[in-house]
Amino acid sequence: MWEAFDVGLPDQAAGRAMIAQQLLNGLVSGGVYALFALGFTLVFGLHGILNLAHGGVLMAGAFIAYYTVQAGLPLALGLVLAIIGGGLLSVLLEFTAFRRLRRSGEVEFGAIISSIGANLVLVTIAQRISHTQVMRFPFGTFPIVIYQFLGVRVSALQLFMAACSLVLVVILTFCLYRTGAGRQIRAVASNERAAVLVGTNPNAVYFQTFFLSGALAGAAGVLVGLAFNSIHFMMGEPYLLRGFVVIILGGLGSVPGAMLGSLLFGMIQTLTIAYLPSGLTDAIIYSILFLILLVRPNGLLGKPAAGVMRGRR
Amino acid sequence: MTTLVLDHVTKRFGGLVATNDVSLAIPPARITGVIGPNGAGKTTIVNLITGMLPLTAGAIRLGGRDLTHAAAHEVGRAGIARTFQNIRLLREASVADNIMVGFHRHEAVSVTASLFGLPSARRETARIRVRTQALLERFGMQRFADHPAGALAYGHQRRVEMMRALATEPDILILDEPVAGMNDVEARELGDIFEDLARSGMGIMLIEHNMRFVMRLCANIFVLDGGRLIAEGPPDAIAADPAVITAYLGI
Amino acid sequence: MIKFLAAYRPLIDLFLLQSGYALSQYIVLRAGVFSIASAGLAAIGAYVAALLTMRLGLSPILSIPIGAVAGLASALLISWPLARLRGVYQAIATLAFVQIVLSLNLYAEAVTGGAMGLNGIPSLVGTWTLLPVLIGVGYVVTAVNANKLGRAFEAMRQDEAVAASLGVSVTLNQSIAFGLSGAIAGLYGGLEAFHSYALEPNQFGFAFVVATLSYVVFGGRRSVLGPIIGTAVLVALPELARPLAENRTLAYGVLLMLVINFMPRGIVDSLLEYVHRRRMARP
Repeated sequence: MWEAFDVGLPDQAAGRAMIAQQLLNGLVSGGVYALFALGFTLVFGLHGILNLAHGGVLMAGAFIAYYTVQAGLPLALGLVLAIIGGGLLSVLLEFTAFRRLRRSGEVEFGAIISSIGANLVLVTIAQRISHTQVMRFPFGTFPIVIYQFLGVRVSALQLFMAACSLVLVVILTFCLYRTGAGRQIRAVASNERAAVLVGTNPNAVYFQTFFLSGALAGAAGVLVGLAFNSIHFMMGEPYLLRGFVVIILGGLGSVPGAMLGSLLFGMIQTLTIAYLPSGLTDAIIYSILFLILLVRPNGLLGKPAAGVMRGRR
Repeated sequence: MTTLVLDHVTKRFGGLVATNDVSLAIPPARITGVIGPNGAGKTTIVNLITGMLPLTAGAIRLGGRDLTHAAAHEVGRAGIARTFQNIRLLREASVADNIMVGFHRHEAVSVTASLFGLPSARRETARIRVRTQALLERFGMQRFADHPAGALAYGHQRRVEMMRALATEPDILILDEPVAGMNDVEARELGDIFEDLARSGMGIMLIEHNMRFVMRLCANIFVLDGGRLIAEGPPDAIAADPAVITAYLGI
Repeated sequence: MIKFLAAYRPLIDLFLLQSGYALSQYIVLRAGVFSIASAGLAAIGAYVAALLTMRLGLSPILSIPIGAVAGLASALLISWPLARLRGVYQAIATLAFVQIVLSLNLYAEAVTGGAMGLNGIPSLVGTWTLLPVLIGVGYVVTAVNANKLGRAFEAMRQDEAVAASLGVSVTLNQSIAFGLSGAIAGLYGGLEAFHSYALEPNQFGFAFVVATLSYVVFGGRRSVLGPIIGTAVLVALPELARPLAENRTLAYGVLLMLVINFMPRGIVDSLLEYVHRRRMARP
């Protein structure tokens, strides 16, 4: 379709425009990855929990928005409900899947197992609800408007996605670094026992981080559902798997790292799809992940933790 | 006979100097004390020797062997064993199993033999079990052999850790506050065992807070303060050293 | 007895195969390596064995062991980068490995059959092959536990710093555990290929990872009996209770959450521990 569109431009300019177009597309999808990966990395960075049910929360967000729109309500409400619902679901996960593990002292391994279990539960429930069908937003849920300038096309949806990602990321950063709650969160993360001694309630902190994390994933779910206009019970899995690449690229546990990682990853992925054999995309992406772990396991902005000896857990 | 030598060892964490140009020697067949107030950098020195931390400058040698850049397991293999200040046992494993791991360095069995449970591997295991029994008897701990180590009383856990270190039959044994939290009777019992070990030729590095204990056992004492060596000598000289008194009383 | 065997043969075979995978997962966890690479290693073993026989006419008696060697070699190859990582980093790296194998498998359609997989593999492996092989592998794993390697693994699993201070090379022993896991996974991949006529890439995907982890977590991570009994129960459960069969994934999910939260050592180890404590308490 690009050939048709670019007719009339000199070859070189067309090539440049195409690269610009790919980079733009990558940037937009990177924003969505950021929404997903920020919560993922936040919960790991603060609590040492790798929440493999995070993809399930993304999927749940998309489901909530879909059924809201199906009920004849506006998409904006669907987005808000998905954010709230994603947050609450994530809190529920903390309560059912992780709370007891925190006391057992084997969080690292236990959390992975427990969240795999929780994810299976979420996915199966969604499969039942949707009768294993792929669902689509009704036509016209989001107006199809395309702007173009300098040979680059931007759809209204892309602008909306970018704006959403930006706003939510800014809100998260604000919550984390500029509010009392954020300071408490970071205090508990650095030393739970000391934070308790000075009167911080760790359970409240876990509530806040899981809510923030889930809310972002819920929003990401809606955006993903809109972008591909396809909502199904397995939609969380590729995001979970790619989320790993993003957070490792940025540095596991690092919030700024996850932002940088998402944008980079979005662009790498779009360029790979555009310029390399399509069947190899996944192989290349995961080889990159493996390579990062090999060369720079702490990612771009992470703390040195990847090779730290495990002592008594 | 092998002496452990630290030669102008320095360790910096960012701007903080945890160990500043420390030189000391732990000779065989003797108990050498390393003392100093809290935060003097005693445990850092242990971690530097045992390869848990890389040095910033200086060298560490055991006999003729350079251990400056050796990894933790290479230091263990070379014949330096340690106990940990905050006891670290395999808490889920039994006391006997905890000690049996200690013999690892002397097990010559091949990977293949161990994989397929060949007779040589089984004989080795049986031999180790006998020697574990002997250690248990020496420390009066036979009746705890099958108990999970994590469930033992504090003093008993310290003993298990020492037995495990001894199982490696080290040339140098580093004891990081071995009698912390013990009463005088228990401490005396252990002190006798340490003296026995020294008589058998082992070099012992004793890091302790309990001054009476150190003064009684050590032939030579190094005093650290603020990561720096401030005195060295026999117990009575150390006790009279004004620098040491200042460091300890904080004047 | 014969009747019973005939009726439950598929189930027994499934148990015998899955137990092997469970042991492959078990042995790495035993050594404190947080790998979930067994799925990828099994895929390598399965495809190598099947292709050698289908394309080159090699006898399965040769191609299955070669599949095991391929599993071993792949494991040793990635054990080098893996040894520099710990904990969740190892888990993520091995997950990436599983995904790489899966996507290359899909991509190399000309060789592997792509998404369609391989069909018409001669079915030559049955209960009477699987049973002795499981006994053999069970023996090896038991022997490892009882000897030098097992002691080193146990020390590494519980406290790496202690293990190293006793002269245990964590890198070397992790590689040995990982290699053994790869050999077992490769072997069972080959056995499965010649047991079930067909192979397809997705049978070695994330679902495989979840299943093998479930067996080990449910049964227990210390005793060899743990993964085997865990597999037996989880394979048999859906057959014993119809509603469970219909809600298999849901049941797996709930079970994983319950076990890791309320009985984190798994059923077998918890039971053994209980018996041991009773015996200790007696004068």
